Amino acid sequence: MATEPLPDPKALRHARRERALAAMEAHDLDLLVLGRVANIRYVSGVPVLWNAGTRPFGPGAVLVRATGEVHLMSTWDEGVPKEIPRDHLYGITWNPMNYVAVLERIGADLRPHRVGTDAMSPLFAQLLPMAFPGAAIVDGGPALRDARRVKTSEEVDAIRAAVAVAEAGLAAAVAELRPGVSERELTGVFMDAMATRGVTTPATQDVVRISTARGAREAGADGRVRAGDVVAFDAGVVADGYTGEAGRTWPVEPDGAAGAVGGLYERWERLWGRLLAACRPGAVGSGLLDAYKAAGEPLPRRPIGRGLGLGFDDPVIVGDLPETAANERLDPGVVLLVTGCVTDDRVASVIAHEAVLITPDGPEVLSGSPFWNRERGGATT
Amino acid sequence: MSAAPTDAARTLGLPEHPDPARMRRERGVRLRAAMADKGIDALVLLSNSNVTYATGASWPLSDHGRGNVERPVAVVLADDDVPHLFTPFAADVATRVDLDDGHLHGPTYLDVGEGVAAFAAALGELVPPTATLAIDDVTGAMHGARETFFAEWPPRSASDVMGPARLIKTPDELTYLRHGLWITEQAMADVQARLVPGARQTDLTATFLHRVFELGAEANVLDPIWQVMPDRQADLPWTTHGDLACPLLSTERRLERGDVLWVDTGISFGGFHSDFGRTWVVGAGPTDRRRAQHRRWCDINDAVVSVMRAGVSAADLTAAAKAVCGGDRPWMSHFYLGHGLGLDSAEAPYVGTDLGESYDRRLVLEAGTVVVIEPVVWDEGHSGYRSENVFVVTDDGCVSLTDYPYDPYGN
Repeated sequence: MATEPLPDPKALRHARRERALAAMEAHDLDLLVLGRVANIRYVSGVPVLWNAGTRPFGPGAVLVRATGEVHLMSTWDEGVPKEIPRDHLYGITWNPMNYVAVLERIGADLRPHRVGTDAMSPLFAQLLPMAFPGAAIVDGGPALRDARRVKTSEEVDAIRAAVAVAEAGLAAAVAELRPGVSERELTGVFMDAMATRGVTTPATQDVVRISTARGAREAGADGRVRAGDVVAFDAGVVADGYTGEAGRTWPVEPDGAAGAVGGLYERWERLWGRLLAACRPGAVGSGLLDAYKAAGEPLPRRPIGRGLGLGFDDPVIVGDLPETAANERLDPGVVLLVTGCVTDDRVASVIAHEAVLITPDGPEVLSGSPFWNRERGGATT
Repeated sequence: MSAAPTDAARTLGLPEHPDPARMRRERGVRLRAAMADKGIDALVLLSNSNVTYATGASWPLSDHGRGNVERPVAVVLADDDVPHLFTPFAADVATRVDLDDGHLHGPTYLDVGEGVAAFAAALGELVPPTATLAIDDVTGAMHGARETFFAEWPPRSASDVMGPARLIKTPDELTYLRHGLWITEQAMADVQARLVPGARQTDLTATFLHRVFELGAEANVLDPIWQVMPDRQADLPWTTHGDLACPLLSTERRLERGDVLWVDTGISFGGFHSDFGRTWVVGAGPTDRRRAQHRRWCDINDAVVSVMRAGVSAADLTAAAKAVCGGDRPWMSHFYLGHGLGLDSAEAPYVGTDLGESYDRRLVLEAGTVVVIEPVVWDEGHSGYRSENVFVVTDDGCVSLTDYPYDPYGN
C-alpha cells in the first residue's frame, strides 16, 4: 500500500475496461450503471472507502460503450486517474432526483437503447426509466460476469499479493494457538498482522472457529480453546481491491484424540487430491461437487468453490446450485478459492481453503501455508 | 455485558443485559402494524441490516462482495409472529436466535438465476401468489428474472415499513448499541495512547482492530479514518462542491508531530453499529488557536443539545447550530449535521442534508431516536476541529451515549 490513495495501475485499469467494453458490445449494452463496489472499481480503477456488509443500490459509476468514458460518483478527485476528468465526477447526494439529473445528462446525447445495471432497488426501478426514457433497463450482470470471470495477468498478480497478506495473518494467528486463548483474541491477532502489512480490510471477519464436535464446543462456550480442540482458521483480505484467502485447521495439543483427528486429516488429504484434480482447464465447476461424492464425503452447506478477483467473484460452486456449477467452465485465468471440508460428528471438522489458479497446464495452488503433520505433530507444507 | 452502568443507562432505564427475544417480539409488532397500515402481506428483506432487524440474527459482516453472495434473507409475514430466515449461518443462528425449524431455512443465492428460482419456489410455499409483497433490494439476477419473480414492476418498496420501524430504539436495542460504543471507546483509548510521530495510519488501524476483536466486537464495519487535516483547504483534494474533501482513505502514510487528525470509525456488536469521531494532534498539544476551534465546536454541540428533545424538528437542530456561526452551516455539505445510528453506521433520521430545509422542517424527532451530532469547525489557515457525539432523544431532552474525552483539547 502506498502513502497516498492511488488509482489502480494503468495496465490493470485499461485491460479491465477493455474487457468490460467488449462484454457490453457482446451483450448489446450502451451504458452500464454500476452500484456494486467491485464493479465500480473494475471500470474506474478508483479505490473507495471500505464498509462491511451489503449496500443499497446507487449509481456509483457509469461506463459508456460508445466512448469508453467513465462517470464516477466521487465528491473529490483523490485516487481518480487522468482518464476520468473532473467534469465526469458527481458528488454524493441525499436526494435521489439529483442522481436522475446526472444520469439524464450522461444519456442526453447518447440516447441509449439498452442500459445494464448490476443491481437494482424498488426506488431505482422507478427512477432509471426517467433518466433514460425509451431505453430498456436490463440486468447487466451477465456482461460483467463475462468480463470479470477470467483474470488478466495483472489481476492474477494482485490476487497473489493479497493471498500473501492473508497467509501472513494466518501464520500470526496460528502461532498464538494454545490452550486458553479465545477465538476473538486470535481474530484480533490476525487483524493486527494484516493491518501491520498495510492492508486494513478483511474479506471475512469470521476468522477463527473451534470446530471440535458439539460436546466439547459447548464446554468451551466462552470461545476459549482447550487442549484437544480443533480450530479452523479462515483468513481473507481485500488488498488493493483484490481478495486473497487461505484457510487451515489446526489441532491443539492433540495427544489424546490424535487417532481420530489424524483420521480426519487423512480423509481431508484424499478429498483434496480429488478437488485439485477437478481444477483442470476446461473442466466444469460441477467437477468439484463430484469430487466430494467420489471421496465419499458429504457436501458442506457452504460454497466449496468461489471466485477470487476484484472483490468476491463468480463462480459460486455450491451443492444448492447444481445447474450453475455444471454450466461453469474453469477456463485458464479463473482463480478459485477451493474448500475441502470433512466432518466427523463425534470429533470435529477439518476445513482448509486453497486459492487455485487455473492455468493452461493445470491448477496452480497460490496459497502455501503449512498444514498440521499428523505423523510428526508439527507443521508440513 | 461489561460496560459499567452509568448515568446514561440509568436515565434511559436500560437493562443490564438485553433480552433478544423481547427485542424481536417488539420489533415484530411494530413491523406488522406498519405492514397492515400499508397493505403489505409479506416483506422480503435482503439488506444485512433489515434482516438483522426482522430476525434478531447478527453475524460477522464480510466484505461487500462476499456479503452480496452469502447473504441471509428474511421474510416477514403479516399473519405470523415469527419471521423466516434463510441463512448460510444456520448452525450459528439456531443457537442464538430462537427460530424453529419451520422458520429457519438454508441459504439462498440471489445473485444467481438458479438461486432466484429456488427462492421463488420457497417463497411460494410461504405466501399465496395473490399476496402483496414489498422488498428492500433487488439483485441483478432478480432484476433479470423480474417477469417471473415480481407480480408488479417496479416492485413495492419495503423502506416505507422498515424506515419508520427502525427509527425508534427500544431499551434492549440501546443496550446493544451502548455496548458497541463502549468497545469502540476502549479500543480508541489504546490507539490514542500509542499515537506517536512516525506511526503509520495503518498501524493505528492494526491496534484498533486487534483491541475491538479482543473486546468482543462482532465485526469492524468501516476502514478506520485517520485523516491528516492540512492548515489550508487548498492542500486537500479538489471537490465537486468546493467544500472539504473528507473522509479520505488511510494509507501507510507516517504521521508527523503536530499533525491534526480527524478520526472516524465504527464497529458492530449484536448487529448494532457504533460511531466514533474525535480530533487528535500527533505528539503535541493544540495551539491556542486550535483550542479556540474546539471551544467553538463545543458551543455548536451545546446549542444543538439544548434544543434536542422529542417534538422538535431537524430544522430546529440545524438552526441552533447555524446561530452559533452567524448563520453559516457548520457541517460538510456532502454530509449532514447529524445522522441516525443503529443497525447501519448512518441511517435515518438525517439532519441537514441536501434534501433541504423543508425536508428538515417535516422531520420531527421522537423519543428513542438516536442522533449522532457531527459539526465541523474549519478555520482556514489553521486547520479545523471535528468530533461526533451520540445522543438518544427523550421526551424532555437528550442523553449522551458517548463517553470519551476531547483530549488533547481538554474538556
